[in-house]
Amino acid sequence: MESSILSWLIFLPVIGIVFVLAAPGRYARSITWLFTFAVFLLSCTLFDPFLRSWAFDGPYGTNMHFEQIVEWINVGGFHINWHVGIDGISFPLIILTTLITWLSAWASWGFDKWKINRSPKGYFALFLLLETGVLGTFAALDFFLFYIFWEVMLLPMYFLIGVWGGPRKEYAAIKFFLYTLAGSVLMLIALLAMYFASADVTGTGTFSLIEYATHPEIAKEFNNPARLFLGWPFAKVMFVMLFIGFMIKVPIFPFHTWLPDAHVEAPTPISMILAGILLKLGAYGFLRVCYPIFPSAAVWAAYFLAVLGLVNIIYGALCCLAQSDFKRLVAYSSISHMGYVLLGIAVMTTVGFQGAMFQILAHGISSPMCFFLVGVIYDRAHHRDINRFGGLWLSMPRYGSLATLGFFASLGLPGLCGFIGEIWVLLGTFSAPWPWAKPVAVIAAFGVVLTAGYILWMIQRVYLGKLRKEYASYPDATARETAILIPMAALAIFMGILPSYTFDLMNGTLADVLDVLQPAITAAQDVVIAMGG
Amino acid sequence: MELKTLAILIPMLPLIGAALVGVVGLRGLRDRSHWLVLTGVGLSLVAAVWLSRIVKGGVGEPVVESLTIYEWISAGAGSWLNVTFRVDALTSVMLLTVVGISFLIIMYSVGYMRDHHGHAERGYERFFAFLGIFVFSMTTLVLAGNFLLLYLGWELVGLSSYLLIGFYYQRPAAAAAAKKAFLVNRIGDFGFGLGIFLIYLTFRTLDYNAVFDMVERGVMADGTLLETSRITTIALLLFCGAMGKSAQLPLHVWLPDAMEGPTPVSALIHAATMVTAGVYMVARCSVIFASSPLAMTLVACIGAATAFFAATIALTQFDLKRILAYSTLSQLGYMFLGLGVGAFDSAIFHLYTHAFFKALLFLCAGSVMHAMGGVIDIRRFGGLAKGMKVTAVTFWIGGLALAGCPLLAGFWSKDEIVHAALYSNMPWLGAVALVTALLTAFYTFRMIFITFHGPLKLPQGVEHAHESGRWVTVPLMLLAVGAALAGYVGATWHPGGFAGLFETEGPIHHFLATVFAPAQAVLGGGHGEVGSHGGASYWATYWLMYISSALAFWGIVTAWYFYRRAPMVPGAIALWAAPVYRLLYNKYYVDEIYDVVFVRPLRRFGGLCYDADRFFINGLLWLIAAVPRAIGYGLRGWQHGAMQGYALAMVVGLLAIMLWALIRSAA
Repeated sequence: MESSILSWLIFLPVIGIVFVLAAPGRYARSITWLFTFAVFLLSCTLFDPFLRSWAFDGPYGTNMHFEQIVEWINVGGFHINWHVGIDGISFPLIILTTLITWLSAWASWGFDKWKINRSPKGYFALFLLLETGVLGTFAALDFFLFYIFWEVMLLPMYFLIGVWGGPRKEYAAIKFFLYTLAGSVLMLIALLAMYFASADVTGTGTFSLIEYATHPEIAKEFNNPARLFLGWPFAKVMFVMLFIGFMIKVPIFPFHTWLPDAHVEAPTPISMILAGILLKLGAYGFLRVCYPIFPSAAVWAAYFLAVLGLVNIIYGALCCLAQSDFKRLVAYSSISHMGYVLLGIAVMTTVGFQGAMFQILAHGISSPMCFFLVGVIYDRAHHRDINRFGGLWLSMPRYGSLATLGFFASLGLPGLCGFIGEIWVLLGTFSAPWPWAKPVAVIAAFGVVLTAGYILWMIQRVYLGKLRKEYASYPDATARETAILIPMAALAIFMGILPSYTFDLMNGTLADVLDVLQPAITAAQDVVIAMGG
Repeated sequence: MELKTLAILIPMLPLIGAALVGVVGLRGLRDRSHWLVLTGVGLSLVAAVWLSRIVKGGVGEPVVESLTIYEWISAGAGSWLNVTFRVDALTSVMLLTVVGISFLIIMYSVGYMRDHHGHAERGYERFFAFLGIFVFSMTTLVLAGNFLLLYLGWELVGLSSYLLIGFYYQRPAAAAAAKKAFLVNRIGDFGFGLGIFLIYLTFRTLDYNAVFDMVERGVMADGTLLETSRITTIALLLFCGAMGKSAQLPLHVWLPDAMEGPTPVSALIHAATMVTAGVYMVARCSVIFASSPLAMTLVACIGAATAFFAATIALTQFDLKRILAYSTLSQLGYMFLGLGVGAFDSAIFHLYTHAFFKALLFLCAGSVMHAMGGVIDIRRFGGLAKGMKVTAVTFWIGGLALAGCPLLAGFWSKDEIVHAALYSNMPWLGAVALVTALLTAFYTFRMIFITFHGPLKLPQGVEHAHESGRWVTVPLMLLAVGAALAGYVGATWHPGGFAGLFETEGPIHHFLATVFAPAQAVLGGGHGEVGSHGGASYWATYWLMYISSALAFWGIVTAWYFYRRAPMVPGAIALWAAPVYRLLYNKYYVDEIYDVVFVRPLRRFGGLCYDADRFFINGLLWLIAAVPRAIGYGLRGWQHGAMQGYALAMVVGLLAIMLWALIRSAA
């Protein structure tokens, strides 16, 4: 089924850029709001096939919706296509992207009150370009296209942090840029190596991410242990390179230190996008690129990845305990929460995959909410020192209630979105057939206690207790601020109470990916059994 | 009405009431917002009574039914994920207790949450909304038909507790206590959650019926034999959750601090209902616990230890509510002792009677506190009985019930537990329970004599001790009736029994018998079964009742002597045994020990991690980044831009290449 709707979706923000640049600067925020809202509405029209029973019929790759393939570059034997399409992994993320981008555009409303109030045109144009980059990355099914959008996304982010950020913005921006670029280089090497390897099999070569995973000969050759790359097994080298490229984005320990700096320096709306969407690209990369294409390597690395996920969970939470900067605390909590995503993916069970994907979405709702909550108080107090706050609930009851809800969602309180993701991942890990799975699950479950610790301690210091004089006159959350928080709060509750609607959108595709992985998993378990494990 | 409709109405009505309060509170009718929740809970109580009538059925066995309310998570999972309710005798006893006590306490709150002029306190509507949410959560917990829903209700009551302890959130102590309660419960839930995982892993389902059925048959999901070690692990992990929620050693530290919440909350959540959730859960999973002798032993020992330990602390405290909090810990310990020795029905019986008299005592304490202008330290007032007749009389009734005075509610249930413990394979636990009973009578009447008797003494700023209004006294009187008579569901009029009149086997035991029959079958009568002492002589059967009555009176008389007749004695004893006194007064220093052993090291470790992040990882990064910079720095010298230098380099390079070519061709 050919459809150009995804192309429209991807490039609608670019049309918005034209308007932003053409109109006077004072209209930039309205235009951006309108365009991001239009993109959100357009993305909602994509719901239809995913609500039908046949949405996920057929094995992995055959049930792409709104697919479009146009030959794009065909020179010197390279075949690069404009190939976009969405399935159960990318579709929920596209909705998340359009929603959070729209809300962040709204959160940018107070632009003229910011300290660095320069060039609204530039800010909003880059903002829209960022959305194009993200949507393109989620929709691309051609690896080359994926890579291009990945890079498109990088540049606006660099400027948005580097120009409109806080006091140490240059340092944070360059750190973010260099880290991501290092990952991109690895991805580029893998991109070329995989193209030539596929050319060895089929003669012409392909960049299609779907064909890599489903073309039987390509898949066999990619995972052939005899095929070497620079003297090492091809599958393992590719997997590791791609994985490092994506893990920087997630970010996974030890490549995470760019994140707290970037968040602390970035303006509030950019933090929302960074935490809500950009981090998810790394996790999406695991699911789209690393796992279905290199199942043998995925099984080989499972233990290390699970341990990395575990380290993220515990280490991130411990770092949170030591924070006095409100925003840095939320940033480290992102690191901790994304650890559950990696853990769920690494164990390669149905429940684990579902939990990881759910956690991606849940964190995509709760972390922008938390960052915005921090932003609301930062706009008033102009500092973020947790120890200097106190009793804010008393002067700002509406804000206080929404903040409690948001942070409890992040804490993983049952009935809110964070709980389902965490418990699904833990359940998936606990019941995984690997010999190391249970201890890992037990330690990861302890992370839940630490999470409760740092979040409750923060709530106690910021929202509860005696109201300090300097905050007594603060106005409650404005109508705009409340309007931004309400959709996220509603989704946090909806996903927590009726998770099945979210699961229904993605479970089919996750099962397909697992079918691709299954032979490798079975083979690995046979080895375990043969070793008397 | 159908059972299913009733089961849905019971939790939903309070929730609707709470939700409506949210709407009304905004519209400025906050002073009347209690009507919505009170009506919701009242109707819910009607539904609960109706439901238990259906469950009781006619003459036959009580009804046991599982009701699927709706599918929670449909995709690719089992039926255990549905919202399923289980309705049986245990459920209906719990529902009646929870909703009934809630109703009375909400009534009391209407009068209590006001200042002396009758104006509603700040956050009045929030308070009632939270209470409504609590009743919803607690009834969900009790009605749950699978472990996932149980866990959901479990966490939701934890949330309600957090919100209500922190109700006066502008008080730093309340904020800290709320956090502590939530965190300690999280630690228990950590084990509880793992236990649920292990159940899922073992039985491939979380549905009560399926799980209990397999445990009873001793098989796992794939039909293989269920090992004792596996079921012991499950039981112990579940018990972790119970220890957190029901504040048993060593996770008891949050409950005394939780008294920072408003008094009705202490009465409802932290005495009568929520803290008994752990007892309910163990009783619900009685088959699992009964299958593991080790778990049973541990439950009994922890229960007895908590009962004794908390009672000793209560001897020395001066805060009226904290004395009652330690007393709650102690009584919960009794319940776990009962569970651990296999007397599940007695434990639930005690849960039920305890809800009445402990709620009553807390509400009386609240009435005193209200009259004393917020002062709760028993050293600062005295002789209040004259001014506050209703409060004093009802407190006396509650105190007598708690102390185990014959013929009052606490007597029947506590005695059953002690009896079961004495006749179990761990009789020394029964002895501990008896000693604790003596302590209980003493500390209860210590506070009664100091507070209500002797010369009138009032804290500064309080003119006279005045009785509270009708909203407060009516629930007190109703609860006092309960505290006096609630025990008679567990005792029947019989010419052969205690004092020649009573038999310790009542309707509640028959009612609960079907629920605990599988567990009793698994135990195989190894533990003492209550009430079935047929054949034994009169004295052998009933001696314990005389002993415990005597102990109760001994405690009361001692308290009277110490605090009314010879007020110098307690001080002399405290001086004589100063180290012991200090140990008890400081609650065995448990908080301090936890602070040093867990809290500080964890924080320090967090700081260490953050330092590692900043200095080690960023340092490495700096080093890596320094490499290209160093290379660039080294090469910069070559790029000085002077023509002569470049020319010289070219010449040298050319010469070098020529030389190399020459040598190669020569070789």
